[in-house]
Amino acid sequence: MIALSRSRTASGVLILLAFYIVLLVVFSFLSPFFMTLRNMLAISSNVAFIGLMAAAGTPLIIAGGLDLSVAAVAGLTGVLIAVLYGFGIPVWFAVLIAVLIASGIGLTNGVLATGLKLNPLIVTLATMSIVSGFALILTGGLTKPLGIAGFNWVGAGRLFGIPVPAILMLATYIVLAVLLRATRFGRYIYAVGGSEETSRLVGLPVKPVQVTLYIISAVSGAVAGTMLAAMLGAAAPNAASPHLLTVIAAIILGGTSLQGGRGSVWGTLVAVLILGTLNNGLTLLDVSSFWQEVTRGVVLILAVGVDQVRQRIQDR
Amino acid sequence: MTGIGKSFGGVAVLDSVNFAVQPGEVVALLGSNGAGKSTLMKILTGVYSRDSGRIEIDGAEASMATPRDATAHGISFLPQEISVVPDMTVAENICLGAMPARTRLGVAIVDDQAMRLRAQNILSQLGFSHISPRAFAADLTVAERRIVEIARALAADASILVMDEPTASLTEQEAEMIFRIVRRLKEQQTSIVYISHYLKEVFVIADRIEILRDGRNAGSFLPRDTSVATVVEAMLGTVAGEMFAAKTPRTPGETILSAENLSLGKNLRDVSLTVARGEIVGVFGLVGSGVELLGRVIYGAEGARHAGNMQFAGRPFAPKNPADGKRAGIGFVTAERKKDGIIADLSVRENLVAPFQRRFGSALFTSRRRETAQSVAWIKSLGIRTRGPEQEMRTLSGGNQQKVCLARWLDPSVKMLILEEPTRGVDVGARREIYLQLAELARQGLAILVLSSDVEEIAGLADRALVIDRGVIAAEFAHGTDAATLMAAAA
Repeated sequence: MIALSRSRTASGVLILLAFYIVLLVVFSFLSPFFMTLRNMLAISSNVAFIGLMAAAGTPLIIAGGLDLSVAAVAGLTGVLIAVLYGFGIPVWFAVLIAVLIASGIGLTNGVLATGLKLNPLIVTLATMSIVSGFALILTGGLTKPLGIAGFNWVGAGRLFGIPVPAILMLATYIVLAVLLRATRFGRYIYAVGGSEETSRLVGLPVKPVQVTLYIISAVSGAVAGTMLAAMLGAAAPNAASPHLLTVIAAIILGGTSLQGGRGSVWGTLVAVLILGTLNNGLTLLDVSSFWQEVTRGVVLILAVGVDQVRQRIQDR
Repeated sequence: MTGIGKSFGGVAVLDSVNFAVQPGEVVALLGSNGAGKSTLMKILTGVYSRDSGRIEIDGAEASMATPRDATAHGISFLPQEISVVPDMTVAENICLGAMPARTRLGVAIVDDQAMRLRAQNILSQLGFSHISPRAFAADLTVAERRIVEIARALAADASILVMDEPTASLTEQEAEMIFRIVRRLKEQQTSIVYISHYLKEVFVIADRIEILRDGRNAGSFLPRDTSVATVVEAMLGTVAGEMFAAKTPRTPGETILSAENLSLGKNLRDVSLTVARGEIVGVFGLVGSGVELLGRVIYGAEGARHAGNMQFAGRPFAPKNPADGKRAGIGFVTAERKKDGIIADLSVRENLVAPFQRRFGSALFTSRRRETAQSVAWIKSLGIRTRGPEQEMRTLSGGNQQKVCLARWLDPSVKMLILEEPTRGVDVGARREIYLQLAELARQGLAILVLSSDVEEIAGLADRALVIDRGVIAAEFAHGTDAATLMAAAA
């Protein structure tokens, strides 16, 4: 594994991992179906959509940014693919155009947040609203069936027996982990998030780093949206938005500091797995989805609380 | 106040200090940085507790355990940084401590009219009835805000007013307004403790001058019976000369930086200076004199807002941001180490390699091995006390953090170093090591520009010294000079 060397974060990830294992053990006792290869693969496929957006959101938050528009971009992407395909444009080209449009949205977020120094929370809340609005306008608020031959593979296909979405997600995590840990760009991310003023004074490219991360986040939204549309076989303008809070929750649960400067994508990955496993396990146990919501909230508070206590002990 | 003693962590900061003010007397409290002035005043205002000694107000012993006690005894402290609430009106700011209220339907509500009236009264009592109680503090000039702050102290019935550098960042005319207020307050039998670095000012306004040095009383003078020179001598005492490297005459090389007529608003006006290879140029200035801006303007940290021309290494130089300054070959060590000098969460290694990460890796990747090798070398050559390059930066002492901030610029591409307050918050041992290091770097041909409000630092370090006062260069000493001369030139 790429070194989890940032010591504070590393021990946080280990605690999270321990929690995940406990979760696995408990569920495998409670449900005979839980610990099967089939179910594990199902979980990996189900979390891919959220996991992808959370992966790209992590370096952005480490660098002191925040992107609330990512799920809306995912929704718009599905719609764009449906609309463009309807015009007779080949599906791969439609995806490419959607990704380019997403980059434009990310660029806008980045420039507004860094160039004009607007609060990223407000900027991306606004673009979220604009982007979801356009997705609804383009479809008249309806779900559009896609019916594109072979496209379904992106969302439900398998490669060497592993679901394609899971492969896409894992690949993203590996690339981002290397980026954060081993590249100069990754170092800039931690420096900028750790102290923007210091980074500026030692002459680091503060704004380009942040803008690039907004673009990466938006593109991850586009890829996730493509995956979702392929999985559903339809473009539903509102299908993605409810997952935004889960994305942010996973990043925070994974130990990334909202103040910036600290965090790792591996923490986010474990957090995504925890949240996904919780969903899956509770469904298997026939717990209503309403109670699942409650459980998710409780787990989030518990995990963040434990992490705070741990850090306080460490800092003493 | 008699026999006041105070130590922090076993280090005595005040040692049986005596201090007294009579009603209607203006006493100037003087001393160089670290002499104990602010500690003494913080004890008087209940911010710090004292280890020994007694405080008497009107002949009765007062405990002064909390700031509230001080307020109850009519003592009011005006810190150097003006603390008015910008989004409140003048009247609200003045009555902030106790807003007049009336009861409506059993609920106490603020009585705006009474508040405005009270504010108006106090302002006219001070002779500034032209400041409207309805105006927002944000719209006032710095001097007017200072006046509002004084009015607030009076609204709280202060009979003893402690003013810390009340004229810092004010122009001469504005400072004159403060003097007028001080005289009026004096007529009304208010006692005033006046802390200032501006000796000229002190001689104009004070009835008596009390001097602290190294936490002890170091003399009491009446302005009419003494001179600036005597006061400065009492303030500085005998300077510990061995702090600094012996000044072996260096022969400066060619000029690397020449700046002409640098201006930035009213805080920096037509400042011109040159720095040559192998020389240490020191700029001494008091807080608010522009000394905290000059280095940033040259480096590009103030953006492109300034006027004036610069040449660096023979080329026109107009930095728009710090990256431009770095690219040209300038290194910058900030005065605000915690805020914009270190990245607290990162390791010592990551802080050290921050400006020149390109040197320690390929086009894309960083090289942990090469970074560590260089870090270890710097840690050794500068004597940075750390458990190793991976120690978190936040856990280092101020002096060692400062050494990291200096070491990171020791790159072949850096031709000039700008250091702001290079030893602020740095312990004596590290301070000496930094001074020796700077002298050695200059000997090796680096151009060094030091900006400081510590007069002994500039006197001990600089081959050539400039004094900046209220945004302009007030004096230049081509061969350096002693602390007393510098202080007199600034005051």
